[in-house]
Amino acid sequence: MNKRRLWSFSFTTATLVLIPAAIGINYIGKLFAGVLKLPLWLDSIGTALASMLSGPVVGAISGAINNIIYGLTMDPISFVYALTSIAIGITVGIMAYNGRINTLWKSIIAGVVVAIVAAIVSTPLNVIFWGGQTGNVWGDALYAYLIAHAVPVWIASFLDEIVVDFPDKIATMIIAFLIFKGLPRKLILLYQSGETIEKLD
Amino acid sequence: MAKTLSLYVERNTFIHRVDSINKILYVLVSVAIPLILPYKFVAIFLILISISFLLLAKVMRRVIPLIEFSVIILLSIVIIQGLFHAGNKTVAFHIARITFYKEGLSYAFTLSTRVINILLAFAILVLTTKPSELIEALVKKGLSPRFGYVLSSALQIIPQMMSAVGSIMDAQRSRGLETEGNLAVRIRAFFPLIGPVVMGSLIETRERAMALEVRAFNSREKKTFLNERQNLRSDNVIRLILFSILSLSIVLRVLL
Amino acid sequence: MKKVVVENLKYRYPLSENLALKGISFEVEKGEFIGIIGRNLAGKSTLCQALVGLVPHFYKGAYSGSVKISGMNVLENNISGLSKKIGIVFQNPFTQITAAKLTVYEEIAFGLENMGIEKKEMIRRIEYVLYLLDLEKYKDRNPFELSGGQMQRLAIASIIAMKPEIIVLDEPTSQLDPQGSEEVFKAIQSLSREGITIMMVEQKIEKIAQYTDRVMLMSDGEVVDFDVPQKIFLKDNLLNYGVQAPVFTRVCRSLNIKNKNTGLYPVTLDEAYELMVRHEQNRS
Repeated sequence: MNKRRLWSFSFTTATLVLIPAAIGINYIGKLFAGVLKLPLWLDSIGTALASMLSGPVVGAISGAINNIIYGLTMDPISFVYALTSIAIGITVGIMAYNGRINTLWKSIIAGVVVAIVAAIVSTPLNVIFWGGQTGNVWGDALYAYLIAHAVPVWIASFLDEIVVDFPDKIATMIIAFLIFKGLPRKLILLYQSGETIEKLD
Repeated sequence: MAKTLSLYVERNTFIHRVDSINKILYVLVSVAIPLILPYKFVAIFLILISISFLLLAKVMRRVIPLIEFSVIILLSIVIIQGLFHAGNKTVAFHIARITFYKEGLSYAFTLSTRVINILLAFAILVLTTKPSELIEALVKKGLSPRFGYVLSSALQIIPQMMSAVGSIMDAQRSRGLETEGNLAVRIRAFFPLIGPVVMGSLIETRERAMALEVRAFNSREKKTFLNERQNLRSDNVIRLILFSILSLSIVLRVLL
Repeated sequence: MKKVVVENLKYRYPLSENLALKGISFEVEKGEFIGIIGRNLAGKSTLCQALVGLVPHFYKGAYSGSVKISGMNVLENNISGLSKKIGIVFQNPFTQITAAKLTVYEEIAFGLENMGIEKKEMIRRIEYVLYLLDLEKYKDRNPFELSGGQMQRLAIASIIAMKPEIIVLDEPTSQLDPQGSEEVFKAIQSLSREGITIMMVEQKIEKIAQYTDRVMLMSDGEVVDFDVPQKIFLKDNLLNYGVQAPVFTRVCRSLNIKNKNTGLYPVTLDEAYELMVRHEQNRS
């Protein structure tokens, strides 16, 4: 797994075609969460898988284009949150490359890390655009309570975001890990923009 | 889900005919000016201009679903900031025994105008431009054609994947998968659903990548285009106007 | 010039222990229609992919020997370069749609745009393949709205528009219903009449017998035999290779009805019918 460079910007055709599929998996994760009425977003599973398969650069691009498409087809403000998706892609990619997501327990820890990173990146965006709120009912209720008690805006906003992100990102990483474990090795190999050169027999 | 992701509304107005790149420039200028000149009336003025463009493009009614979610959040912001904003000192009004403060309401107002301004500027782009034309315009201006492909194909691949999911859900249900019940049951239902979807997508992705390769996807030749858009004189005029307004606001900012 | 020259081709997929191709050698002349038969995992698809460069450039892995397409060495060229000479159509019509275009017309243009073909020439070629593959009435339809047979014809059209001298078809009808299959075989026949060199993997043995000039029988990564259909279907041990001769050939064989001139059993329905009628007449 360490054969390829971490920050490879060379995209094979397979890794490029992976990107729309990863975004599709994001959409489907969100759909299943809705259909099964789970209290989570689950809209980054595809981004996480893309990072685990092809590294942080592809993961980040999948996340960014995900938000670009949301922005063009549903909600323009999503454009800005591409930064969060990019951060998630990079974080998962780096951890996967360094073998930090290869057991169930490690994937839970990875989920915690991703949640914190996502919250750190989202909070300034939330403050600039929404005065610190996130649009999530429970998170915003907490936020209102906190600022009513003179907690600084940045802290209140961060807590608003993390309360939503912890369960969601931990679940996302567990799911991504379990799916990844179940993939046949030959399929995985294809998406590593591995400089595996053809050896002669 | 529609067979391609797009909010494009087919109409034959001047706004529709404007070059896609100019519409992107309009969005960038609309977002930049309130930052350069942070006066309340500036944002409101831009909002009015965007509204008039939307009316000209006859797509005003389609704006509602686009912004309703954000508007609801903005309302909650007005309330929460009006009540609890850190710098709240001056009373604005009372409702029953609840006090709303000027500072918070003013802050919420600034946020709201900023958000609505961005949303409306984007609405013009999104409602009056065919995504395929937008992407092709970007490729012609220098965006890597391979990335143009990633964007274009995503718009059709995603709906295709979504509709395929319906059959997977039915197939699993008919094999006895329980999708209703307590939380544990529903969580356990997730994996037999998402597993086949991901596997299937990855295999399809490999096949599609092979098909692209043999269609000269990685050819180094200079790409040609089947569709050629006529450059209208108004395109350059509009670009000039946008740049002038932007420069003007920078000048004003420096002077004031 | 011989269109396809393969010399001692050996190949092993990454992470595999065994060779998928164990030393294949053959040649194909211009305009020939070659059928490739054999059981699953005999290496037929791998061979197809080795002809267009997917093996080894897409899969990587271990490779030796040489494949020359119209003089171009596959190992030394990339897939895009080879696509000017040779094209391939796969089994699944759905995954051959790029998904980047909204109409059949533009879908065909995709490969031409990549090749940098000038617009007027693009239009000429698109109109021609729309006519050749009988897709004219669908030219403004979204590719995803087509039936399986129509989609597969679109895949063929998209490849033919790139004007390769050789086209490889890897079980092009295995995912189609009977009507779709017939449409595709009809299309392949028109290609053959245009003089294009064709190599087709097919399970429908009657079609192989009907259309091809020579048949390649593969097993376990090797070419067992490469000859005219009549000689291939004469073999006794076809079942060992997971293949059966066409029905009418087997019938004539059991009735010992041969073609008097060649001494071989018929391989097409028409020939078998003729011989059986004459046989009946001779008996009475």
